[in-house]
Amino acid sequence: MDHPAPLPQFLHDGDFLSVLKVHGYEVAPRLAAAAAKFEHEIGKGSIATEGTTVLAIKFKDGVLVAGDRRATTGNLVMYERAEKLINIDTHSVLAIAGVPAVAFEIARVLEHSFKYYQRTQLQEMSTAGKVRSLSKLLKENLPLTLQGVGMVVPIFATYEHTNGRDGAGKVFFYDALGAQFEGVDYAASGSGSLSVRSVLHYLNTWGEKPLARYNESEIIVAALRVLDTAAAADTATSGYNPKQNIFPIVRIVSRDGVRDVGDSELAKIYRANV
Amino acid sequence: MIEEPYRWVEAIANRREYIEDQLRRGSPVVLLNYADGLLLLTVSRETRKIFEIYDRIAFAALGHPADIERMRLVAIDLAHIEGFNRAVADVSLRRLVNFGMSPALKTAFEQVYGPPFVLKMMLAELGEDAEHDCIVKLDYDGSMGRSEIEMKEPFDVLAGTGEAQEQMLKYLVDNNGSPRRSLDDALQLAARTWAVGIETAERSGEGKEEHVSLEGIDPVKVLKEHLKVRHVEAGLLERGRPDSSKFRLLDEKEIRAALKEL
Repeated sequence: MDHPAPLPQFLHDGDFLSVLKVHGYEVAPRLAAAAAKFEHEIGKGSIATEGTTVLAIKFKDGVLVAGDRRATTGNLVMYERAEKLINIDTHSVLAIAGVPAVAFEIARVLEHSFKYYQRTQLQEMSTAGKVRSLSKLLKENLPLTLQGVGMVVPIFATYEHTNGRDGAGKVFFYDALGAQFEGVDYAASGSGSLSVRSVLHYLNTWGEKPLARYNESEIIVAALRVLDTAAAADTATSGYNPKQNIFPIVRIVSRDGVRDVGDSELAKIYRANV
Repeated sequence: MIEEPYRWVEAIANRREYIEDQLRRGSPVVLLNYADGLLLLTVSRETRKIFEIYDRIAFAALGHPADIERMRLVAIDLAHIEGFNRAVADVSLRRLVNFGMSPALKTAFEQVYGPPFVLKMMLAELGEDAEHDCIVKLDYDGSMGRSEIEMKEPFDVLAGTGEAQEQMLKYLVDNNGSPRRSLDDALQLAARTWAVGIETAERSGEGKEEHVSLEGIDPVKVLKEHLKVRHVEAGLLERGRPDSSKFRLLDEKEIRAALKEL
């Protein structure tokens, strides 16, 4: 007499991807479909983005993450209000550069993976674990990257609590193959990243004080200025657009969680300092 | 022999009796609404009994820890797959219970050669406002105490025996203040109600009395006696929480501060 299993047996290691697999979802083909769609749309000259600038800078209270709003296809501006920052959990933000369809799919998987882990295992995933999860997803995307489509090069910014006491902001950046690096002071990605890195290097090395000692309002000013600098040289990056009143997206990741720096606040800072 | 219909019915009846007997001494669970959402409270010895299932759904149970764990994981899996494949807003307690958990429990219960789940559960979903909160009680055989009805009363209870549940509800009705009660008030009332439940279950378990009356039960005294070896466990679904996830487990300090004035 066989004993029927009343329910499918799931792995209990808190890995959401293996649960998805049981239910017929495979990440790699899904990413491939997203990228194929992207190729198709590019052919028609429709919405798709490549060029962009996103950055993350550590400062006194945590990490500032910012991204411009422009989405481009080749030399065309497709959309001026794209959002390139995705909140992954209460203390983490993913900044994406690359093919949005793939990036958003990765973000969606990550968001649920972290929540799933926390709820099944009754503890939050460690920062190292989170960073590694993103790396794994980028590796799933490897075949596409090698074909030259569907490349995603994200930045992961998070605030790490250590034993419930004072924590620290952390910045990780990736190459398209999934290798992860921790940014000591800052990280930038996208077509405008060269200017950003140059300016930040200059500020950090020869500025008044290192970026890590900036306070929140100082770091916001610095980020807006550096984004404007990137926009000056890179057509695929937009700065502040006064005609349409479009601002970059700026978020502060600190002990209190993720805070969106609103448009009105940015408008004031632009008028005064940029 | 089980192939005969009569034998099957008998086997099911035996199984029900066995499970009910196992659950008799389980630690009750109290659900109350308070000013900013829903409170779930129980008193546990070691293993945790109150859990988060999804952004707006919480779970509490009494029964065998391994079965609680299995059912909890089933609920989490179903909710996350739905939330991932569709949208966070599409995860609803009603669907989770009606189409996922309840049929699975019924199947396990009626396949008499397989092991049944030995547990009773209460699940709560935080709505946009108090009118749309939803509570579902789900038993080992898949039957639902209450499904898809809007919350008429701002409370519910779960206990090992029907008698205990009745007494707890009676106590809550008698002591029911405003549904806009503060969290501290809610914690105190929930803890006293828990004491009524455990005392009733223990008295009726001893078989001394057919019907246990509330007379002579001092909930505060009973609670204090139990707290010598157990601790209060409480979870919240907070409407005002800024995250998408509304669940929070209260820490010991908060609970102790609230219960100090009992």
